[in-house]
Order: sequence, then structure tokens, then C-alpha cells
Amino acid sequence: MADWLAVAELSELSRRKKKQVEVAGEPVALFLVGSQVFALADTCIHKQRSLSKGVLLNGCVVCPGHQWEFDPATGYEATQDRYQPSYDIRVEDGTVFVSTRPRENPQELREALTAGSSTS
Amino acid sequence: MTTFAIVGAGQTAAVATRTLRRRGFDGRIEVIGAEPYPPYQRPPLTKEYLAGGDDDLFLLDEKWCAANDVHLRLGQRAVRVRPSEWAVELADGSQVRADKVLIATGGAARHLPGVRGDRVHYLRTLDDATKLRELISPGVRLIVIGAGFIGSEVAATAHRKGADVTVIDTLDAPMQRVLGRELGAVCAAIHRGNGVAVRLGEPVESVVEHADAVIVTTAGARLEGDYVVVGVGITPNIEVAQRSGVTVDNGVLVDEYCRTNVPNIFAAGDIANHYHPLFDELIRVEHFDNANKQAAAAANNMLGNPTIFDDPHWFWSDQYDVNIQHTGHARTWDELVIRGSVDELDFCAFYLRDGRIRAAFAVDRGADVAMAKELISGRVLVNAHHLKDESIDLSELLETEQAW
Repeated sequence: MADWLAVAELSELSRRKKKQVEVAGEPVALFLVGSQVFALADTCIHKQRSLSKGVLLNGCVVCPGHQWEFDPATGYEATQDRYQPSYDIRVEDGTVFVSTRPRENPQELREALTAGSSTS
Repeated sequence: MTTFAIVGAGQTAAVATRTLRRRGFDGRIEVIGAEPYPPYQRPPLTKEYLAGGDDDLFLLDEKWCAANDVHLRLGQRAVRVRPSEWAVELADGSQVRADKVLIATGGAARHLPGVRGDRVHYLRTLDDATKLRELISPGVRLIVIGAGFIGSEVAATAHRKGADVTVIDTLDAPMQRVLGRELGAVCAAIHRGNGVAVRLGEPVESVVEHADAVIVTTAGARLEGDYVVVGVGITPNIEVAQRSGVTVDNGVLVDEYCRTNVPNIFAAGDIANHYHPLFDELIRVEHFDNANKQAAAAANNMLGNPTIFDDPHWFWSDQYDVNIQHTGHARTWDELVIRGSVDELDFCAFYLRDGRIRAAFAVDRGADVAMAKELISGRVLVNAHHLKDESIDLSELLETEQAW
């Protein structure tokens, strides 16, 4: 089992909606979308730019390097079958906890979310 | 069975093919390409690939094509589309049956009259890049004619490989046609700051090849180099369209649905001079992102799902250590607003006309460009003071400053 690491207070995300933190020596980008917090590896898989320097637009994380658009929930890029590593998140009493290891099967998560949205 | 044919096998063809399949097209797809290679990415040809990188450039692999009933006819030239016969005629006389056709023939490197020879190189294709990258090495004297995107990127990559680089342009600033003189000058400063010589406002008068060098003369200089690279734009490959009765004017004319004047013939990518509803004019754009997005729109329209192509356009260029991005389209503007610091190469410039952002250009400010795209698409009226004020998040402008 992966451990949980307290990395930020929820209130720190309220204005900019994003924050770079460190998890197990790796930079991780937190994003607040609506009332939900998501965590992606901060270093873009494309050209190693920092996603936390990008923007949240229409529910997507847009990388500042070359405008790749990632789904903050799964890490998948909008038009390509590639994904940014993503982390599980837990929020307790206003503190954000990140799993110390990235998810192993983001494709399963994406399938589950796709199935959920098509039936709702 | 329905067959869609794509004439041209570049980025546009690859994305259109994938989009057709993703959207459920269950007919046959024929991709006809003059080059011997399957579709490949061009952006790395002036950057990573030219630098010697071995990243995979190819976009549709054989296995995927076989599994998806996609037929690549490579090294074959299409001659014309015969709409009345539902066919595309190839140079060898054979015919490919097609119910609908996408013209994605792109362009060829524009040649300077009389400028050719063993030491003179143009860069458009994978073969061009393969030849050139073998020649660029430490100490090689490279003269780049043209300070547009191709010339600028070649200069940056060659410099990084240790070449001694001089860039020449007729205009007063690099990329002046897109950026204007003031911000084009920033790009000149980037080159010079990295140790590349830039000679502007100097039309080339002659290029003469000798056994051991090539001599380039301008009004102000006589330059000796080992090689010359010419990057002066592309000429749209209009021949197939012309022979097919398709209206051609600076490329293939299409409406906002990527339709030509001939039913069932569409066009997209570098070749398409498209009516753009947002800018209310005809635009032909020679960039990767346009190829992707317009190809997807064209594929949808071929499938009978009306899709207007009105993306604000976007491109990037990586030169030296800086990331340059541009969005929108502005032939003229009445105000130029800078957010950030030009001197520190950390800024986004907004080109305003009648209170709206028409275009934006940024150095290492991709996030601002993402917001600029939204502000341009939304035709949002903006206040220049707010754009400049870094304590205001640009997303706030999107929420508060409404389009009229």
C-alpha cells in the first residue's frame, strides 16, 4: 500500500487553484477544480515543462510548453493516447493528502469515469 | 463500401484518418502520398531530429493501418480527382475509388530563383532534414537565408550543435510578417544573445558556389560559408486541386466547413486557404496545430457532422532555451499591450484592435497564451490596463469582461 503525505491546506488552493508540492522527491502539481482536488506529476511527459505553471481551462490542465491538455482526474491528454502520471488524493479537515506513489492503472480509472459519464 | 481518399500523407492526413475511425467511419480509407514515407511529424525536423535525435517521427504505423482498413499508397502521385467517376487518378494511370476526397497536399519549400547547388539546402521533408543534419557539425559555417520560423529554428539548432551561424533576412526583423517590427526585434535579440549573427534588411544579391565554399553577397556584406540553408516559406501544392476543377487562390479555397467548390472534395492543412468566421477573412496557415485541428474538422464534415473550423490558430517555436508561442491573427492592430518583461524574456504581448485581442505572442509565457486563445475566441472586450496588471489573473478577464 502507498502511504499518504500531507502536502497542503485546501485554503492554499482557493485563489490560484494550483500549487506545486513535492512527493517522494518528485514535483507534483495540485489542481482545484470546483470543489475537487487532483494531483498530476508536475513535469510534463512531452517536453518537461512545469504543469503547475500552466492554466486550468474548461476542466483541463493546459501545459504552458506546447498547450497539451490533460484531464486532471486521469492524467490523459485530450487527443492522444498518452497520460501524465496521476496520484490519489484525500482531503481531511482541510488538509490535502497525496498518495506517495502514482496510480498504477490510470487506464482503468479513465474507463470507469467514461462509463460513469455515459450512463448519467 | 464507402471509401474516403486523402491526397497527401502528412500530419493532416494522419489526423483525419484517426478522426474518421474514432468517429465511427467504417468504410475504407486510402491515403495517397508522393513521399516514400508514411505520415510523419515535421516540427522535429528543424529541432530534435536536426539536432540528431532519434525519436519516432511516424504517425500511423503499419499494424494500426492494417487493423483499421487504412491503405497507404506511398511514393505515388495523385494527378487529379474525377468526381464524376468517384475516383482519384494516379500518375501511373491507375484509379483509386473514392466517394469523398480530402486534399491535404501541403506545400513545397519555396525556391529562390537561381539559388541551388550542392552546398545549398532547403528544408521541408524528412530527406531534406536527414541530409542537412549530417552536414551540421562543430565549426561548420552555416548561412541561413530567411529569418522566419524554419530559418530561425535551423539557426538555433545548428548553433547548439556548434556551427558558426549567420542569419540573413530581407525584412527588418525576424518573423516580421507575423509579429511586427517591434516584437520581431525581440527574436533578433534572442539570436544575437546566443551568439548567432543576424543581418536584417539585407536582400540577398547572389549565392555563388565554389569548390570549397559558398559565397553569399548582400548589399552590405560578402559572406563565406560551408553551406547555405534557404527558409523562405512554402509554395502550396495546388496542382491536384487545379486539375480537378477545384478553385485555387493562394492554396485551395474552402469555407468554414473545409468544403471546396466541388461537392465531396474537402481540403485542410497547409494547402487550405480557409474562410475563418472569427477573423472574417481568408487565411492560410502553415502550422502543425492548424493541420491537426482543421483535419479533425474536415473529417467530421466528411462524415456529415457539420463542424465549423474557427480555432483561433496557435503555433510554437522552441529556439535556444526559449519557448515562443503565438495565437490569433492580426494583420493590423491599434495597440500593443505587454504583460511581463520583454528585457527578461518573460512576457506576453497582446495585439489589440477595437478593444479586442486579435493575436498574442509570448516568450516563456504559455499560460498567458492559453488564456489569450480564450479571450480571442470569445471576442471579449478587454481593458489594456487589466491586461498589463500582473496582479490580475487573466482568467478573471474572461469571467468579468463580457463580449458585446
